[in-house]
Amino acid sequence: MGELTLGVFPSLVGSMSLDFSFKIAEAAVAKGHKVNMWLSGNAVMMAKKGQKAFKDYSHNEKKMKELIGKGMEITVCEACAEARGYHKEDTPEGMKRASMDWYLAKTVKTDRLFHIGGE
Amino acid sequence: MKLAVFLSDWRRTEDSFERIKADKMGVVLVGNGIYHAVVKENGKDSPVLSKAGASFYVLSDDLETRGYTAAQVNSKVKVIGYGDIVDLIMNDYEKTAWL
Amino acid sequence: MGAVKLLFVVQRPPYKSENPRLALTHAIASQTAEIYMDDGDSVVPIIAFVGDGVLNAVKDQQAMKIYGVTSTEDHIKNSLLIDMPVWVCKEDMQRLGLKEDQMITEAEDRGAELRTKFVSFAEIQKEMEAVQHLLFF
Repeated sequence: MGELTLGVFPSLVGSMSLDFSFKIAEAAVAKGHKVNMWLSGNAVMMAKKGQKAFKDYSHNEKKMKELIGKGMEITVCEACAEARGYHKEDTPEGMKRASMDWYLAKTVKTDRLFHIGGE
Repeated sequence: MKLAVFLSDWRRTEDSFERIKADKMGVVLVGNGIYHAVVKENGKDSPVLSKAGASFYVLSDDLETRGYTAAQVNSKVKVIGYGDIVDLIMNDYEKTAWL
Repeated sequence: MGAVKLLFVVQRPPYKSENPRLALTHAIASQTAEIYMDDGDSVVPIIAFVGDGVLNAVKDQQAMKIYGVTSTEDHIKNSLLIDMPVWVCKEDMQRLGLKEDQMITEAEDRGAELRTKFVSFAEIQKEMEAVQHLLFF
């Protein structure tokens, strides 16, 4: 099995590309791959605690927690988060915050990089 | 280079896709990119499908989300699921490009 | 693993979207990535502006003066300062009527020795083949 690193930049609301990223991650984990996910730019809001599920909006929190439970590493861009008023205490359990160099460093050992840019 | 290119838009504002070359290229149509597999604007196939030497794939979930079925997909395009995309990325192609 | 080459490809104009800025800030972050890596490993980024993305490299941007935010020009100059190659596609400049004297070509005022390289798309394609990973913004 290999290692897949996903760089995810699309917004939580207004794009289905973030949902796509989680479905890819879920499929890769199910196949036994090690998956790392970097949430950056508008995608950081995906990882903020206390989101209410509305049927009109994407809601991936449950899936995100399940994937973390299965060993997927999810790290949020700290500067992108702070710029949006999302602070350390808002970070769900099991998730990390780091500077952008974390993502760059992951590209060294990963077998594949799937960089899903924003809009 | 073995490259998997992901197209998630129908109307595209950049032209990287037309210019990129690869020894082996897979074009994966996801999100609004699925329209390239099903819409015949003015009766013609999407120009995306004329990329020479490429293999074409479309994500079934994104087709169905938008009201299309596999039966309506252009014969050049293979309908696949998320697991298949993972296999393409991990086994068939070395690099990915989300355009 | 040693040195892993990454190509950041910017396809969109600046300011409407955060994307071009994120390409530059992520690429510049390669400077500090070693804290997460094993000894001997490194990432070597190149940033290439293609398509309408070449508009990011037009000089004399006033984003700080007008909006109080760092300009894309500032990030491009910082990239040159850290010796990160900055490439701009010549054919796209020509298509958009841009001449080299309109573009960010150097950052000598900051002490940068490296200059912007104006290259053909064929050279960028060659680099796409040479690098380990591609990041399109």
